[in-house]
Amino acid sequence: MMREVYIIIFLPVIVGIILYAVPRKYFTAKGIVASLVAAVSLFYSCRLYFTDGGMMNLGLGQKFFSEGSQMHDLLVQAESFTMLNVDSLAKLIIIFVGLFTLLVSVYSIGYLLPRIRPRSFFTYVLITAGCSNGAVLADHMLLFIFFWGILGITLYKLIKGYNSVTAAAAKKTFILIGASDGIMILGLAILWRLGYPLSISAMSVPTTSLITVIAFVCLLIGAFTKAGAFPFHTWVPDYATHASASSSALMPASLDKLLGIYFLARLFNSMFIINDWITLAVLVIGVSTIIIAVMMALAQHDYKRLLGYHAVSQVGYMVTGFALGTPLGVAGGLFHMFNHALYKSGLFLAAGHVEKHTGKHNIEDLGGLSKVMPLTFFSSIIFALSISGIPPLNGFASKWLIYQGIVEFGQGSGIANQLWIVWLALTMFGSALTLASFIKFLSGIFMGPLNPTYKTLREKNYFMSIPQLVLAVICIGLGVFASGWVIPKVIQSVSGSFSYIGFWESSTVSLLVLISIILGLVFYLLLFKKNIRVEKPFILGEPNDTTSSFHAGEFFKTIWGNSFLNSMYKAAEKKYFDIYEISRGTVLGISKALSWLHLGVLPVYLIWIIAGLLVMFIIFL
Amino acid sequence: MSALIPFFVILPLAGAFAIPVFSGYWKNMGKVLTPILMLMLLALSVMFFFRDSAVFVYYVGGWELINGVPVGIQFVVDGLSVLMLSIINMMAFFASFFSISYLKKFTGDKYFYALFCLMVAGMNGVVITGDLFNMFIFLEIAVISSYALVAFGIEREELEASFKYQVLGGLASLLVLLGIVVLYWKTGSLNIADISRVLKQEGSSPSLLFIQILFIAGFGLKAAMIPFHAWLPDAHSSAPAPISAMLSGVLIKAVGVYAIMRLFFNMFELTYEMSMLILVIGTISMVGGVFLAIGQWDFKRLLAYHSISQMGYVFLGLGMGMVILSVNGNKAVAVMAIAGGLYHMVNHAVFKGLLFLNSGAVEYKTGTRMLKELGGLSENMPLTSTSSFGASMAISGIPPFNGFFSKLLIIIAAVQGQFYLMAALAVLVSIITLASFMKVHRYAFSGNLRFKDLKKFGEAPFSMLFSMLVLAGLCLLLSLLIIPVFRDIFLTPAVNDLMNLLNYSQPIIGV
Repeated sequence: MMREVYIIIFLPVIVGIILYAVPRKYFTAKGIVASLVAAVSLFYSCRLYFTDGGMMNLGLGQKFFSEGSQMHDLLVQAESFTMLNVDSLAKLIIIFVGLFTLLVSVYSIGYLLPRIRPRSFFTYVLITAGCSNGAVLADHMLLFIFFWGILGITLYKLIKGYNSVTAAAAKKTFILIGASDGIMILGLAILWRLGYPLSISAMSVPTTSLITVIAFVCLLIGAFTKAGAFPFHTWVPDYATHASASSSALMPASLDKLLGIYFLARLFNSMFIINDWITLAVLVIGVSTIIIAVMMALAQHDYKRLLGYHAVSQVGYMVTGFALGTPLGVAGGLFHMFNHALYKSGLFLAAGHVEKHTGKHNIEDLGGLSKVMPLTFFSSIIFALSISGIPPLNGFASKWLIYQGIVEFGQGSGIANQLWIVWLALTMFGSALTLASFIKFLSGIFMGPLNPTYKTLREKNYFMSIPQLVLAVICIGLGVFASGWVIPKVIQSVSGSFSYIGFWESSTVSLLVLISIILGLVFYLLLFKKNIRVEKPFILGEPNDTTSSFHAGEFFKTIWGNSFLNSMYKAAEKKYFDIYEISRGTVLGISKALSWLHLGVLPVYLIWIIAGLLVMFIIFL
Repeated sequence: MSALIPFFVILPLAGAFAIPVFSGYWKNMGKVLTPILMLMLLALSVMFFFRDSAVFVYYVGGWELINGVPVGIQFVVDGLSVLMLSIINMMAFFASFFSISYLKKFTGDKYFYALFCLMVAGMNGVVITGDLFNMFIFLEIAVISSYALVAFGIEREELEASFKYQVLGGLASLLVLLGIVVLYWKTGSLNIADISRVLKQEGSSPSLLFIQILFIAGFGLKAAMIPFHAWLPDAHSSAPAPISAMLSGVLIKAVGVYAIMRLFFNMFELTYEMSMLILVIGTISMVGGVFLAIGQWDFKRLLAYHSISQMGYVFLGLGMGMVILSVNGNKAVAVMAIAGGLYHMVNHAVFKGLLFLNSGAVEYKTGTRMLKELGGLSENMPLTSTSSFGASMAISGIPPFNGFFSKLLIIIAAVQGQFYLMAALAVLVSIITLASFMKVHRYAFSGNLRFKDLKKFGEAPFSMLFSMLVLAGLCLLLSLLIIPVFRDIFLTPAVNDLMNLLNYSQPIIGV
């Protein structure tokens, strides 16, 4: 167990630092090395999964220095800070960390053009992987915050600020992430002050007094910002729009979600004993995250930004699941976290593929790409149906668990329990809106007539296609075997066992879905094929020659018609609701007010000094 | 080892006189001699970390105690002095090495190096002397040479800044001198250890409060505490970059923070009122400085305001320790607070010095330091950009850089000591610091490529790069000071000397 842990934490970091020294022109070679390291790390993560786990110490003192040497003594003293906890949740998450690192590294070899490529891309990918593993395994809070903070740096370094807009997005991202890290330290300090052990596994803090609630909220802000939950989510859409698709697929789509939700799980399930009011508040945040972000997604034209808003919206499901606090809810939240990471990073990879081939960012400029990019189209359909919760895919399986969890939660007697129907309705409504916006995504990019300039496109880059297909296959696999294997064997080992009322046999249903699709195809080919006639697009009988005549976005203009929604969208576009912009305005306002006092006039400065002196004399003498 | 103590003053002082005299024969004398001298001093000060006794006393001129009363001047090196000496001489080495290339844009570099050595001699003198009036003399040597160095560019802006600095600095010296005079009248002694013995017998009185307030105002002005900070943004942003690094990195610490620490911990008895005053002034500086900094568009001015804010952190840590000690609170928390303050001071010397050197490299290559006129420099100067990023992370308190750990100590100590407001403010200031350095990176180092000619606007020359990269490495390496064994070598002796009055006075006057 020791060796696996060392390899998955330190190997990527060390190789990453070595790659930093390799010149930029060997990009492909660096990518191949990074992929190999990621593969090794994934292999050892899998091996770690089959060990017993338990508490262990990083034990740097014993490992590298002989007994009695000064370095040995030195590191032994630091050992209480390097406790690791290899439990079933951590073991599961690090497998996914390894998987995403591997897939994104492979994809990036084919994808990253020099213009959007961050300096030392693979270095930061590998450091991210190592530090994510470290953060997930860490048991001592300080060690956890140490790794967690480094992830903020790599997140910032993975977006290249090559013009003012991208530089602004990078800045905003890091300020929000760094701010949340600072607030987490405050929470940590409060827990320390109250005398709780700073070990994540041993902590069990009741949220009965104000001060523990403050500590809880401080730590929760950290988890929310990392995962991108309302109202700390505002960096996610910006990052998704302006970073390269590999970076978005790696960080906000998968690893940041895994880590943020991982910490949320720890907060809710082991570190704190949650009271009813917190449950209510977090549920409200969860469902509002779902609805607000999906409404914003509906209005987007840039497909990467659309995905960014969905990366926020889906967090709402996970937050809702964990807030329920029942094994069923936890299982739903957890399963949804993995599913979301799979299909969302898949969607980003697909979006990156489209972007690389066409150079366009807006859905309206594209169309008909299914004919030239069949593999990407196929995987995008899988991802889009999955995120919209269509059976038998994995997104449905986890959402089903969350719905079941809410229904079961409704049997309780607390105030949040009584409102179960509200939570259920809003989560389901969010799912419907997700489907609506992904119809826009799919039909706008892949359907309709093809722009003739793209006729010569071919999907030849297997570095890019294979990771997408792998993710699509995993999405299908997790969905089809959800009730038979994934939930009982994998998820329940983490969340605790449970049973639920809603009967769902995923394999059988999948078989039925498959049969109906085949039957449909058969009917289509046998009965209708010969009766179908293909015509050029026309308006009022006149031929319409516009190259991309199929504006999927047009269908969604109706939501702008509603005056309330319209004004909300306008305010959101001006960033009135963005917590970053609000704080920025406040700080700069104070700054301006203070700098009025600094005229640069010497007598004024002298007066301050005399005044300061006098005030001190008056107070103390 | 105590025989080596005067070399901290003799070596740079000799350099200061030799350089202008012999530069006529050998043009490069200053360029070569100054870094070598500073390296020797650095080695000497690091040697003192591994000393065999806690405190070394050197009797200048061989004047020993007479009946237990010091009559001559003594040089004293204890844990705190060693810590200060090593950061002063370390920054002096890097700044002087950086200057080798940087000064190509100036004329009269022999005067630059002479003044530089003089300033270092003054600062070294301040931290090793055990005599109050001697401290004042060395302080004047250091600040007067810094007045001249600030004006070194002799443009309108530099001269104006230097003039303001001189007037306000002169006022501060006056206040300090007045304090010393009253103290001498009251106790009949100028030796710090001896004064502390006399004061202990006398107990508190209004005149003592008066002296303490004079010292807080005087040294607070040197340390640029709000509301005595007004000279700093002008002076630190107008000086040549290596001098800014010295001023912000060590001068305000040696003549401001160190003096306050030494006098209030080791000479006066800690009182609750004065401790609270230092804590409050520190907090106001921390918050005010950062709000002023984030609105700036001049790279060096922004850094200068951050110096005020970061010194606020140092005073916050020290002040909390003083308050806890003065009410006989939990000693462990006081240790943590003071260690956090000292640790942050060391870290600040490194990262702020580095940031000023970065700004110098940027200005050297592009000719401007206005953020809005810069852009895309990470393409032009990747190594400068990297080192600047490291320093920015350190000052913003992001792991694994050193600033994270010192701020962590301060924040945890604040919460432990139930200074909840201070803890929350420290976090807030840390966030705004991060935001303002993200602003620097967004405008200067990323964004549109402004200087398209990569050959002309390429990487900085070797001597600059060397200093910057080593300092960036130190930003990472100093994180190790959090580990107990390193902490015991470098920080704990200083903390102990501050907390225990006897540690300091016993070896000097035997009481």
